Amino acid sequence: MKINAPLVVKVLTSFIREETKKAGFDRVVLGLSGGLDSSVCAFLAVEALGEDKVLALIMPYQNLDSEGVRHAELVATTLKIKWHKIDISPQIDAYFSLFPTDNHILKGNKMARERMSILYDFSAREKALILGTSNKTELLIGYGTIHGDMACGINPMGDLYKTQVLALGHHLGLPEEILRKKPTAGLWPGQTDEEEIGIFYDELDQILYRLVDLRKKPEEVVAEGVDQTKVRRIIEMIKKSEFKRKMPPIAKISSRTIGHDFLYPYDWDK
Amino acid sequence: MCYFQGMKIAIAQISPVLGNLEKNLETHLRLARKAQEQEADLIVFPELSLTGYTLKDLASELAIRTDSSEIFLELLEASKNIDLVFGLVEERTNNPGIVYNSAAYLSGGQIVHLHRKVFLPTSGMFEEGRFFASGRQFKTFPTRFGRAGLLVCRDFLHYGSSYCLFAGGAGLIIVISAAPGRGVSGDNSQSFETSRMWELMGEAVSFFSSSFVVYCNRVGFEDGACFAGGSYVFSPYGKLIQRLPYLEEAFTTLEIDLKEIGQARKSWPFRRDERPEVIWRSLEKIIRQEDED
Repeated sequence: MKINAPLVVKVLTSFIREETKKAGFDRVVLGLSGGLDSSVCAFLAVEALGEDKVLALIMPYQNLDSEGVRHAELVATTLKIKWHKIDISPQIDAYFSLFPTDNHILKGNKMARERMSILYDFSAREKALILGTSNKTELLIGYGTIHGDMACGINPMGDLYKTQVLALGHHLGLPEEILRKKPTAGLWPGQTDEEEIGIFYDELDQILYRLVDLRKKPEEVVAEGVDQTKVRRIIEMIKKSEFKRKMPPIAKISSRTIGHDFLYPYDWDK
Repeated sequence: MCYFQGMKIAIAQISPVLGNLEKNLETHLRLARKAQEQEADLIVFPELSLTGYTLKDLASELAIRTDSSEIFLELLEASKNIDLVFGLVEERTNNPGIVYNSAAYLSGGQIVHLHRKVFLPTSGMFEEGRFFASGRQFKTFPTRFGRAGLLVCRDFLHYGSSYCLFAGGAGLIIVISAAPGRGVSGDNSQSFETSRMWELMGEAVSFFSSSFVVYCNRVGFEDGACFAGGSYVFSPYGKLIQRLPYLEEAFTTLEIDLKEIGQARKSWPFRRDERPEVIWRSLEKIIRQEDED
């Protein structure tokens, strides 16, 4: 699972540079939460394109994650990139005043989609490609909001497990306090990913790596000493979230159908 | 056979524009002129250099007929000045609708050889078998520089392919490739783990067939896949003559001494002692046996 960090940086910065250019942009925009993933992504973007080509949007809801906001500002000022702080409370509160709920997940999803909507608006205003910041761990277990934080133009880090992103963060010299803090989706004050998912990232990544990268069978992973319930639960999470990783299926009725047998590359003519 | 003593090869480690024949033709002609200015005798481009790799349905749309395509005719014209090896989607002239992932060797305004990729990777991230017909032979051909053979990417990883070229008398094995890099846990901090696999084969094939191996791989990204570059030339002694950078566009010319083929074959008479008829008979038995199983 170890990564060769300088090589990864070289590949990912080339990817950002090339894909941004191919998409017809010369700059990128990303949502900066102050967490590990978006901070690493901001560092990569600056290394790829330069500080004047990266725009960060910090989009807090009330004081849900004030530490995150502080860290986001720290990253933006450290990198000397342009940033806006946009409080999403008014529109979120307006909506939930009509349809009240105590469900943190519903609220979190709504906020993630509001942030997505703002990112796409800024993408058009600033002519900037949206960088996604989802990592392989959360993409695999579906720990993200479809059409929310998962929405983007390109995703440079989607093939790196959370613990690999952390290693990359160390290599890139992220502020210590961001590297040290517990990952959070900022769903409620004090929330941590690991408590919510019910497994620590170290262990989760080890299991995913064996199942996905090494193509081991669940029973082989269990035989290596991993708790069977954990393995089963992770496989369930992967299965249940496949819909988040795919375009919605189209009912095929014609002789040539988008997604079935009308197949063109994403980078067509680029 | 009379070998020229010295030969200058240009390697164009490019990143083609996916699905744009005109722009890629421009690149080919521009680099061919550059190679010619540097007095190269031959320029080698990567696999599917005229179209890009991740073609899907574009494969059949961008297929070229070698008897009538204007683009191909322009390349034939360019080959009057310098020998060209490049990759294209080839549609059979006598059997329309059948398209191949092919490598062309052009020289003096003529097609010297067309090799249709035999081994089409169709698993994991690859889906070539879905869009291409597979070639049915490995054949050597005479060039100004002695007998040569062409392979396309995965062909080279099946060592029987190189053996056929060796048995067919090739002293120059040219491999054009669009090999994406995979794996970042390796010790080589400059490239993906998979780059080693290509170099391993290059070293082994060049040494054990006492032939030059020229490997031209592409770079750039297509739909997230990163082509690793790292093109190289190995001598008939299995020595690395030059490796181009990984992951970056590059262009180089280098001189090779074709006398080394004969010298290497005197030092290590693998070629003299080879018994293709024994291999053939053995293979025949193996195949017959397998068929009966």
